[in-house]
Amino acid sequence: MGGVLVRPIILTVCIYLFLKFIVPILPHSAPLPSSLIFLYLMLVMSGSVLFATLSGESKDAFFQPILRFLTGESGGALSSARYLVLALFPILVGWQTYGSTASSDAPPAENRTIHPAPPGEYTGLSNPVPKTPENIMYGKGLYASRCAPCHGNFDGKGFASAGFTPPPANFKDPTTIAMLQESYLFWRIKKGGVGLPVEGMPWKTAMPRWELEMSDEDIWKVIMGEYDGAGQKPRTWDESE
Amino acid sequence: MARVRRPGAKWWVAAVSVVGLCLTLELPAAYSQQSVAVRAGLVKGTLPADDPTAAAWATAPTSEFPLSPQVHWPVRITEVTAKTVKVRGLHDGTTVAILLEYQDPTEDPDDAAALEFMVGDTKAHFAHGQPMAQVEGGPVNIWYWKNKDGKGSDLGAKGFGTLKPHSHQDVKAKGVYQGGAWKVVFSRPLSTEHVAEDTQFKPGEFGSIAFAVWDGKKMDSGQPKEKGSEKAISSWWYFRADAPPDYSPYLYALLAVGLALGFEMALVRRLKKGS
Repeated sequence: MGGVLVRPIILTVCIYLFLKFIVPILPHSAPLPSSLIFLYLMLVMSGSVLFATLSGESKDAFFQPILRFLTGESGGALSSARYLVLALFPILVGWQTYGSTASSDAPPAENRTIHPAPPGEYTGLSNPVPKTPENIMYGKGLYASRCAPCHGNFDGKGFASAGFTPPPANFKDPTTIAMLQESYLFWRIKKGGVGLPVEGMPWKTAMPRWELEMSDEDIWKVIMGEYDGAGQKPRTWDESE
Repeated sequence: MARVRRPGAKWWVAAVSVVGLCLTLELPAAYSQQSVAVRAGLVKGTLPADDPTAAAWATAPTSEFPLSPQVHWPVRITEVTAKTVKVRGLHDGTTVAILLEYQDPTEDPDDAAALEFMVGDTKAHFAHGQPMAQVEGGPVNIWYWKNKDGKGSDLGAKGFGTLKPHSHQDVKAKGVYQGGAWKVVFSRPLSTEHVAEDTQFKPGEFGSIAFAVWDGKKMDSGQPKEKGSEKAISSWWYFRADAPPDYSPYLYALLAVGLALGFEMALVRRLKKGS
């Protein structure tokens, strides 16, 4: 009787388990936000309902078990489940209504763009400093004195990082400098947090404006030292592109 | 028409329950946020605006924020005494009081603490409202207390080097040193006439708040260990003075329950008639 319902339900459960537990452990992946998982589940269920109601026959097969359950014709243990559902529905509606009308104790949601687009003059710049062991070592020295207090051992956990929100970037994370070009880092280091556009929320970031204290050449060397120390490579355009 | 019950008829109900459980687990998480705010509760009695040790403070929820050495501005420091600050807030509908608590091994005349707020709706950089390249920033309002002054100061700034006292002084502050820790309470009316310079608190609305602490211990050089921009700081967090209780959401919820019940009963009745 409920056979037609079983497949979409199993599909929904499997997709939930996949999104919740499998996706985060895939290489170069990360846990999905709950709101996104919720959206995917709603899409799966909407698609299942659409598929099951394509013909009159399939529609009846899909809805009949539900109708029998709601009208109490299923009998047996399902009667208890029916009363439970009939009682829970109004409670859920009341709870949702309260949640949407009561003032929230949570602060406003922030949609900060972590890597906003740089100004045009900072796109496509090449590092003019030769990539020699000496220059890399010099850059690492500058990193140790200027950057490490916040960015630590390239992991964003320097001794001065605790009080800052957003936290200093973790350069070992594959979603930071590994997906950026050197010219992007040059802009971020030179202009600092106050150089960000509005979507980057510059009023919150502690990144210093290093152009006040470092030459362009030293900034390029820091970039080389940063990539080397974090074990990452800058993003580059392929020759075919 | 005779109905035939199949043995497996119940397990799709169980499966529906599992899906429902999945959604129920995901829905609250989708809209929940980490607590990063100070909430000033509404008190009915006397506001402990000049008593950092008053028993009333125990009723206020405590928020704790990590502090960092100030490294943003070139005159920086790499090691600071205060690592965290505990913050509580209360208000009585006209005045707001904010209590800071932090560890400091020695009581010194130059020990100091400050609160910082944005002014109005314009965003301001947490480092004294310094200019931003692509965003037109606003000023910050700073409430400052220094042990040897024994009072609060109402200051304004729009960038490093622009800090100056307001012509009007609306902020009061008092500090008490006990057991290796400072308790400093700041207070000010929720709203003032100087909307272009002072932060204004609208109960129920969140605003931004930041903290700074100076350990004034005298070093061998004769200078305080922390002074000026050499201090322990936080970047922006949130602050809210709670609004008076509002019971209308309970009324709306009851109404919704009634409507849902009515819909449910009408639906079941119609389905029964149809079958």
